[in-house]
Amino acid sequence: MDFQQASEFALSLARERHERDVDVLVGRNQSLSIKVLGGKVEKVDQSTSQGLGLRVLREGRTGIAYTERMDPEAIERAFLAAGENADLNDRTEVEMVERVPTVPDPETLELYNPALDDLTLDDLAQFGLAAEEAALAGDPRVKAVPALVVKRSRGIYQVASSHGLQYGQEENSVGAYCSVMLEENGVRKSGGHQWSAREWAPEKGEWLGREAARKGAALMGARPISGGALPVVLDEETAPALLGMYFSGLSAESVQKGLSRFKDKVGQPVAGESIQLLDDPHRKGAPGSRFLDAEGTPTAPLPILENGVLRNLFYHVESARREGRQSTGHAGRGYNGGIGTRSHSLVMNPGEYDLDALCALTERCLLITELEGGAGCNPVSGDISIGVQGFLVENGRRTQPVDSVTIAGNFFDLLQNIQALGDRYQPNLSNRFIPAMLVEGFVLSG
Amino acid sequence: MLAEETVQKVLGCGVEGGADFAEVFVEDSEVSAIDLLDRKLKDVTSGNAFGVGVRLLFGDEAYYGYSSDAEEESLLELTANLARSGRSNEGGALAPLTRETVNDRHSVRIDPTTVPKGQRVELLRHLDELARKHGDAIAQVGASVLEKKRSVLIANSEGLWVEDARQYARLRLSAVADTGDGPQTASESPGVLGGYEFFDGLDVDRIAGDAAQSALRMAGAGYIEGGLMPVVLGNGFGGVIFHEACGHPLETEAIRKGASPFAGKIGEAVAQPILTAIDDGTMENRWGSLNVDDEGQPAQRTVLIEKGVLKNYLSDRIGARQVGVPRSGSARRESYRFAPVSRMRNTYIDRGPHKVEDMIASVDFGLYAKKMGGGSVDPATGEFNFSVQEGYAIRGGKIAEPVRGATLIGKGYEVLSLISMIGDDLELAAGMCGASSGWVPTTVGQPSIKIDSILVGGR
Repeated sequence: MDFQQASEFALSLARERHERDVDVLVGRNQSLSIKVLGGKVEKVDQSTSQGLGLRVLREGRTGIAYTERMDPEAIERAFLAAGENADLNDRTEVEMVERVPTVPDPETLELYNPALDDLTLDDLAQFGLAAEEAALAGDPRVKAVPALVVKRSRGIYQVASSHGLQYGQEENSVGAYCSVMLEENGVRKSGGHQWSAREWAPEKGEWLGREAARKGAALMGARPISGGALPVVLDEETAPALLGMYFSGLSAESVQKGLSRFKDKVGQPVAGESIQLLDDPHRKGAPGSRFLDAEGTPTAPLPILENGVLRNLFYHVESARREGRQSTGHAGRGYNGGIGTRSHSLVMNPGEYDLDALCALTERCLLITELEGGAGCNPVSGDISIGVQGFLVENGRRTQPVDSVTIAGNFFDLLQNIQALGDRYQPNLSNRFIPAMLVEGFVLSG
Repeated sequence: MLAEETVQKVLGCGVEGGADFAEVFVEDSEVSAIDLLDRKLKDVTSGNAFGVGVRLLFGDEAYYGYSSDAEEESLLELTANLARSGRSNEGGALAPLTRETVNDRHSVRIDPTTVPKGQRVELLRHLDELARKHGDAIAQVGASVLEKKRSVLIANSEGLWVEDARQYARLRLSAVADTGDGPQTASESPGVLGGYEFFDGLDVDRIAGDAAQSALRMAGAGYIEGGLMPVVLGNGFGGVIFHEACGHPLETEAIRKGASPFAGKIGEAVAQPILTAIDDGTMENRWGSLNVDDEGQPAQRTVLIEKGVLKNYLSDRIGARQVGVPRSGSARRESYRFAPVSRMRNTYIDRGPHKVEDMIASVDFGLYAKKMGGGSVDPATGEFNFSVQEGYAIRGGKIAEPVRGATLIGKGYEVLSLISMIGDDLELAAGMCGASSGWVPTTVGQPSIKIDSILVGGR
């Protein structure tokens, strides 16, 4: 049966068994991707996957089960397992949303472009081959293009409940990633660039390869700089990547469970006065925008930071009921897991400086263009300790590419120490709208 | 899991469509997870993951498709689509399928399905209590059990038909300590390729004590002043550095792209003669072990570096052919959603002659990274980064104050030659490794080792 029939079948089981509180989440993903190596397509992936997740609530006890088989027997087995799991679980404040809200047509969120589904293997291959050729031609020191992937994907998500909830939306995108390896005098450097969009742009292939080569070439000859306190500029790609590792602390559930330093901070200044941060679930075209969250609660734009003051946290039903308040519509869930907290699109106000102008605001700073992993970044403690690459900028001029250095600090200090913001967001599909930023207070080791 | 006739038709469709080689991978996995947080059960989950992956090779080109719809008609359509995408060849031969018996090295003494789920809940509550007993500063405890049985079938146009069942069991315990200076976390995550007997045999006092004490020590810790310094890396999970910085670049998936510092270096000295490193997929019941890999090859023990000399790469079918090395039984994938590539299994630096005390005593100022957190590497350049979960400054040859927030960065092949002392205290630890074929269970390990100079990020 298709996923629509599977969802209906699961709810019919709920009716037959007099199970009052049941919801069903189905997800279906299709993708086509190619990898290019050595002037040819070396790998093609074509996929369809789907799953059905059941949540059964018995007097505040939640049971979860899922199946990737869409036949009646498998769904019934999952249904029974969810009930058994509920009986085993502890009782909580959670309840199902009973009032089915009316929401606008999800198509108005502009997350789906049917034209992308027509992209053929050949379209993707031409894009990838052009990217590889441009990457190899981009700099004589480019010795290999170890990763070049072009992919289109499409996902359908639907949630339905025994209380009549029925909400679904469809989303698709196309994207590519190119990484190059450069070598000179036995020293190697990588450069990578990515592109994602909801409009096909075949000319971007050549551009992507060129950009990857340019970024790698700019870092050739990188060396450490001496340690100590130094202002840093996070560019529009590294700023959302770094800050994004810490936003889980804005979940009310994390705060309630002692896993966030935002405890008792609502109403308090936690960031510089110029900082505004909005969670916008209805931002057109942003991946994950939606009118209803995974529990069926309507979503709405929510101010998080106003002039640096923490205004709100993210709540789902259980965390909200624990404090006697309403969910803010931030429940998230995949078909194979339980309810968690998710943000939608986090939008920080842009500033007035382009990247060069931002770097020129101080006499000497480190412009960070690459982050090396996030293992030293702890969202609970807020500790930041991470290897970075980029450029030393002196009097507004990039005077040296830099690698083999780390920056250390704390996310909560970072929020207070943002001195100025860039004037744009990175252009790829994302739900982190965070501009470049000049930050003081980091300690550099090199 | 899938009728032989259907498998044969799919393989036939692939080679008739021009593929030199066709392969079917069927997976039927049962998953069960229980999470406890804040003294309450959070999620009790069970699930079934099922799907079929079809791979066609046209020379060096690979076409992979998967679907959770296992109807014969759908699979044939998928395969025909893949074949149409490939260049037109004559196609390879189709050999009759021969069932191979798997030599099961990894016993499951207690079938998890025979144990009531409530027993796991008791274990989790007990661990929570034990961890909290370490003091009021333990602000939060999270614990979970994860069990998974992956039943797989691998068949190919060369006539291979092999079925295997892989039963995994893992515990995770995390403790959060707060002594007024912000919360600090520490965790323990042992796991095995085995049955419920793993949970019965756990030393729960030690696990709870290690996580709680580590979090407490870090909660009271200051920061180390960063810079280049000697580092003594603790045993066990400290092996994650070798895994990331040397293991990944030794996979043919990196070598064949010409993007590994180890390419073309077999037979050359890449480390000091005291260092021997092994990737062993055959270790009984180890988390990263296998009976057969995901291409159906029997698991092997592969010596990577012997007395400082590079001996072998980890290979899969495509990598072995392109690089010109034997297959090592290392082709792995997270699930049917991924085509297999060469991956690590149980990877470790072998024991050496030194005592950890002597390593510490040899350092005037440096870092003792007793316990590592996670990390990552750029295989092309060997540039790695790791966080230290539990660290101490070394001053005047003695372990001094605890330090937190330290990060180690460097280049793998450079660090390898800077390992000057290797301990006699080899330990292995379970982890999850993410790469192009998804997340797979791997074991990392090493004795304590001393690296003469490495950049430590601190404040």
